[in-house]
Amino acid sequence: MDRRRFLGGFGASGFLCAPALTRAATTFRLGLTPVFLDNDAVVIDQLRSALSDAMETPVELIQRKTYQEITATLLDGSVDAAWICGFPFLQHRDRLSLLGVPEWHGRPLYQSYLIVSAEDAAAGLADLRGSVHAFSDPDSNSGFLVTASDLARIGETPERFFSRAIYTYGHRNVVRAVAGGLTRSGSVDGYVWETLAIVEPELTARTRIASRSEWLGFPPFASRSDRIATPEVERFGRALRSLEQTLAGREALGLLFLDRIVEAAPSLFDGIARRMAEVGLSE
Amino acid sequence: MRHRGVANWPITIRVALATAALMILLGLVASQQVLSRLGKLQDERLREFARLHVEGLAVALGPFVLHKDVWEVYETLDRARANSTGQRILLTVVGDERGQVLAATDPIRAPVDSSIRRFAEGAVSVSEVTAGNGAPVVKIAAPLSVQGREVGRVVTELDVSDLVAQRRTTTVALLAANAVATFVIALAGYFVVARMLKPITLLASHMGEAGGAPQPIPEASIPKSDTVVGRLFRNFNEMAGAIKSRSDAERRLAERERFVSLGRLSSSLAHEINNPLGGLLNAADTIRTYAERPEVVQQSAELLDRGLKHLRDVSRAILEENRLDRSGRPLSATDLDDLRLLFEPETSRQGQVLEWPPTPSSGLLERYPSAPVRQIALNLLLNASSAAPEGGNVVFRLRADQEGIALIVADDGPGLSDADLARLMSAAPVAPGGGVGLRLVRDLVCGLGGVVQHHRADGRTTITVDLPALGVM
Repeated sequence: MDRRRFLGGFGASGFLCAPALTRAATTFRLGLTPVFLDNDAVVIDQLRSALSDAMETPVELIQRKTYQEITATLLDGSVDAAWICGFPFLQHRDRLSLLGVPEWHGRPLYQSYLIVSAEDAAAGLADLRGSVHAFSDPDSNSGFLVTASDLARIGETPERFFSRAIYTYGHRNVVRAVAGGLTRSGSVDGYVWETLAIVEPELTARTRIASRSEWLGFPPFASRSDRIATPEVERFGRALRSLEQTLAGREALGLLFLDRIVEAAPSLFDGIARRMAEVGLSE
Repeated sequence: MRHRGVANWPITIRVALATAALMILLGLVASQQVLSRLGKLQDERLREFARLHVEGLAVALGPFVLHKDVWEVYETLDRARANSTGQRILLTVVGDERGQVLAATDPIRAPVDSSIRRFAEGAVSVSEVTAGNGAPVVKIAAPLSVQGREVGRVVTELDVSDLVAQRRTTTVALLAANAVATFVIALAGYFVVARMLKPITLLASHMGEAGGAPQPIPEASIPKSDTVVGRLFRNFNEMAGAIKSRSDAERRLAERERFVSLGRLSSSLAHEINNPLGGLLNAADTIRTYAERPEVVQQSAELLDRGLKHLRDVSRAILEENRLDRSGRPLSATDLDDLRLLFEPETSRQGQVLEWPPTPSSGLLERYPSAPVRQIALNLLLNASSAAPEGGNVVFRLRADQEGIALIVADDGPGLSDADLARLMSAAPVAPGGGVGLRLVRDLVCGLGGVVQHHRADGRTTITVDLPALGVM
């Protein structure tokens, strides 16, 4: 996979939305957000065709800008399933059920990175007081919650601790903001940063990882609990968890630098739940 | 003096220079027009570019600035930069309504939340932007409005070094082209004028550059086609012929003047010859009558001898005056004696008193040619004698030293008339009716490099001729 395949822009949204007008009644709709998967048509199309083949049903990928939007579409039934973050999953734990969690480097886990520019001497969060910070999304675990909860441990909030906190709505954008000097630091998904280090090394080379979080549950695929038992959702769950068994599935996973998608218990996200508790949120 | 120097330059050079000056003037005016037009076009293009840039940003950024969405402002600026062609935009800074930076294309230079003021310093509005002041970077500032409300401002640094370089290149090219055109046209002007003035140059060369007298233009050099120039040349040739004829006539007249002088002396000289003749004849009779008285014969023979010697001297002086070829002989004391022998009877005849100078020491007179000096002295003396009244005074003085000699002739006559003075003192044409004696004096003096001075005081007219010392003739 090269950079062009993995990366992309908002242009993909238009492409993804267009088929909705002619969607067949049986089409399965999967929600995505570029916060996590800032990719282009090739990756999206590969994933879509692999899932369609496995389900033997057309799959439509619906993309929204924020986790909040995509969670909302999931909850209101506009999409049948969505690839969301562990944080919003836990926020709506009572209404959502897990369909599968990707494995990366053999584990369904990832970290949150606190990054600064390559020349910045900051050793950790404590050195960044009063500077401008970039979050990816207020509903992102790695791109917000981890840092916010770290601040909560020292009795601070992002608004007070940083002179200004901005939301870029994309992990890659956080890396860009720090690399370009727009912000001094950023909270970013470790999986995205490591993948960018492979496909876009000149971008990540301008940043440095100041600190890493503990290992936390990888962003899962989820569906509304009341629809988890419907044949479409069950078929989608099976297709998802058997992607690595088909050529198209392996290609799609390869483009995403993922091993496979496995079944997981909600307890996988206990780490995130603890951090939520630290900032005063509960499941 | 400088002005005179330019005025003395050949007309071909002057025309070429005038052409060059006019071309330079024309070139400057034309270049100014071209540069002004170029500047206007560049500025129009620049303003259009700046206007599109700012308007595009205003539309795209307005809502983000309103919500102070730092990332979207940055993202939009970044996309605009990536999409813009060329490298004209060096930096764009977007500030909120409080003048704090929201985002910039280069956040390192313009950090978030810093003041936008230092970037806005020296910035002009879009309608005033120009590349004409030579600076490689210009700044423009424009407000950002959303629904009529000003929510922030944009400051952009534009790289206009290419436009400045274009102006400089154009200036240099214009200067070079004008210089070449000026040189070529001035050179062409020189050759054209030189060709046009060829007849004039020919005329000038025959006008008397060599030897002073106009020389006729050979018939072969007279153009057949150009009737005006041909007519001019023929008229010139006729004029040159007339001048030559007149010059010849004047020369012949001067030749005659010597005889004229003698003619004026003839009656006096006839007396001078006639007077001793009576005495001589008496002496001859005495010899015949007293042939046997040796002492009487002896006395008469001596008388005869003296009389005949006097006659011999007079005739020699006359012959000497008439000799055609005297030019090579130097002046000597004998010439002064001859002059006196020839001239004194004239004063005697009129009962005038003649004051004659003593003969100068030898070696001082030999520096001058005999013929012209004798002619000058004789003419002045004859003029003085005829001017002086019966029983008047005629004075001749001679001052000779190593520097030169001065011939001074004075009389107590009524003085020279204006016409005579004009003849003696100037080169003005000789009025008809008068003699040429005084003009001949002037011409001869000029020929010897001397000067004539006229002085009239106390009823006496004094004419002084100073001749510089010449080498031995």
